[in-house]
Amino acid sequence: MSTLEELTALSRNPVNPAVNEWKAEGKKVVGFLCTQVPEEILYAADILPVRLRAPDCADTTSADVYMSHLNCTFMRSCLQYMFEGKFDFLDGFVCTNSCDHTRRLYDILREALDYPYVHLFSIPHKVGDEEVTLWHRGEITRFKESVEAAFRVEVTEAKLRQAIGIYNETRHLLRELYELRKSDSPPISGAETLSVILAGNSLPKDMYNQMLRNLLDELRQRKGISKYRARLMIAGSGGCDNPNYLGVMEELGGLVVTDSLCFGSRYFWEPVDTEGDLMLNLARSYLNRPSCANMTDRVVERGEFVKQMVGDFKVDGVVFQRMRYCDLWGGQLLYMEHEFKKSDIPLLSLEREYTLGGAGQLRTRVQAFLEKIEG
Amino acid sequence: MMEEKKSVLEQVAESLVIYNAALSAVGGEETRGIGWLMNLLNTYFAEAGEAQAKGRPLAWINFAVPSEIFWAMDMVPVVVEVVNGLVAPFGPKALEYIDMAEKSIPNYICSSCKVLMGAMLSGDITAPDVLVVPSQPCDSNLAMYSVASKRFDFPYFCIDMPYLRSEQGTEYIAGELKKMVKFLEEKTNRKLDLDKLKQTMEYSNLAHEYYLKISKLREAVPCPYSSLEILAEYPAILCMAGRPELVDYLKKRYEMTKAKVAKGESGLSSSTEKYRLVWIYGAPAFDLFTFSWLEQEYGAVSVNSMMNNFTMQPVEDISDYDKIMMGLAEKLKLMPMTRECGGPWEQFIDATIELCRRTKADAALFGGHVACKSNWAIMKLVKDKIREELGIPTLILELDVFDPRVTSSDALRAKFDDFFATVLRK
Repeated sequence: MSTLEELTALSRNPVNPAVNEWKAEGKKVVGFLCTQVPEEILYAADILPVRLRAPDCADTTSADVYMSHLNCTFMRSCLQYMFEGKFDFLDGFVCTNSCDHTRRLYDILREALDYPYVHLFSIPHKVGDEEVTLWHRGEITRFKESVEAAFRVEVTEAKLRQAIGIYNETRHLLRELYELRKSDSPPISGAETLSVILAGNSLPKDMYNQMLRNLLDELRQRKGISKYRARLMIAGSGGCDNPNYLGVMEELGGLVVTDSLCFGSRYFWEPVDTEGDLMLNLARSYLNRPSCANMTDRVVERGEFVKQMVGDFKVDGVVFQRMRYCDLWGGQLLYMEHEFKKSDIPLLSLEREYTLGGAGQLRTRVQAFLEKIEG
Repeated sequence: MMEEKKSVLEQVAESLVIYNAALSAVGGEETRGIGWLMNLLNTYFAEAGEAQAKGRPLAWINFAVPSEIFWAMDMVPVVVEVVNGLVAPFGPKALEYIDMAEKSIPNYICSSCKVLMGAMLSGDITAPDVLVVPSQPCDSNLAMYSVASKRFDFPYFCIDMPYLRSEQGTEYIAGELKKMVKFLEEKTNRKLDLDKLKQTMEYSNLAHEYYLKISKLREAVPCPYSSLEILAEYPAILCMAGRPELVDYLKKRYEMTKAKVAKGESGLSSSTEKYRLVWIYGAPAFDLFTFSWLEQEYGAVSVNSMMNNFTMQPVEDISDYDKIMMGLAEKLKLMPMTRECGGPWEQFIDATIELCRRTKADAALFGGHVACKSNWAIMKLVKDKIREELGIPTLILELDVFDPRVTSSDALRAKFDDFFATVLRK
């Protein structure tokens, strides 16, 4: 089995043999939402962070008792998994106030479920200035203290530095992977890349790093993909963790060569400085990475990041997808459509549900978009 | 003949005339209070309409942003939700704006934002000199105004608010307010004068004291206010905090209400109070007559709503700038809807239980605005807790506060008919 096949297999379920092995050693596993949670704190406490996903959730009946049809299906699917006991292997959760749906999961968790540890990691909604960074440093410190108290561990500076180093290595290796995709004949498709990143969401990062090194070696020998109609970039909201979604585009000849997704580049783009005040470095790095639409003072920068990607990866068109009921990313349309039109960048705006129910409609829209790009 | 194009603020002025008629129609002989309120709002909106032409900066602000600072800087603050709320009930314009907005943004964005976005895309409203919003209570608020500021090119400031409430958090918000002042000074070329701010705070505090006294009086059975009177004060409280005119109005209103309560008089002119309802979230702003229909049909008075549940105390110490900013930060945290919807659900339920208990509610009405995803996600928790703590039912209504096309007045009234026939039968 190639490393790519191995990673793809590992990506299909948040629970994998490595997680089981970790648990068997008597160590803790904590789930989290979303990428704004500094995982390094958990890793430094010898806790495995697992990002919540519910990839095979087809029915949200139990979750719908609490959430409504006006809540996003990603969050409802995660809640459904909780009610079904699929996250019972977790020793706790860390939620954020990253969006209205996510933050309410924190409330429901505390009222309707019985997990031993639940923490709300409060994030600011602007990158702002030094005061905001310092405030965020304080929140990260409170998070660290909460982990230390709940799990009776000590996150020493040395352990944290080591964890940041390991995570930086992941970031570096994933950036290398993306570099390969700049080629006219990228050795890996968009769907495959997404699988690689998803696998890393629930693997110990040092193990994952070794697999990434192997993967890069294999990809350098692999024959590139040269038959495609257009090079696409996918951007937009969270919950985009289904490789088949990108697969539909790629079957039609739209090769996905890069992204601005939290299950993609936004997760790993910026390293964390390992010199000096580590908590401050974490605050700076997490605030200044390519942002989610919940950072209100980064409207222009979000657009510029996509434009930069378009240039660097020779992108022919951008697929801007977002979960239905995601106000944060839905609102960006008012600016992005206007801006991209000015810059002559073709943009396809798509709304989606967490489960890939409308594949036929997606196929039609992408086909039309590819034809538009081809002129 | 081509229809004359009217600005949004001109539409608001026209709306107020109709609003006045609606209120007076249900107010019976005692309409003096309503007349005072309408005069107040007319004067205010006229001032807002003329501001830019007279060289006074116009600030669009979210409902929780303290208007006192803007008045102290001789700016005119306009609460965008108030404008949208006043345009929505009267005539088709609001719906046109919503349709226009939906060409550019998804339909599930809050219609309050959509009215404004549509008005801007239509060219019916000129850009403000500045726009200020806090980072709470919802994603629509967070997303749309920053994006609009870039699309339509006007200065924007976000007051960041920590999710969890704490003393440190209040200091952080006070710091954000100070940054906002610097931003305003930079963008409008005027300085905040501390003496003027103190004077504005004195007016704000006085208004506040009267409002709290009136709120207390409104707890009386029967309620001395009609449903619409209660709801109608919301715009004035938000937009005019810090103005002497608001103090005058509330003082007169307090004296009138005190006299009514002493005589045991109801705010209803043509029916008897049988039920006391509390709107624990949204309400159909698109159809004010639903409130008077409830009174006439069932003797059901809407004795209060989450939006009008101003419980914070006046800013005690206004002796220096830092203390004023701390006081305003505290006020911001406790503003209705920001308090309930901007943090963990305990903030929602604690304030709601307290409100329903204090007003002796027979039922809670959850006017679930379809765009408020965060509230819909705790609706079951809220309903169960109200039943458990107070033993009263909660009617869940799915509606769009500003858009009758989601749930019509007739559909709402049918739900009420069922509710009164089954759950609330007395």
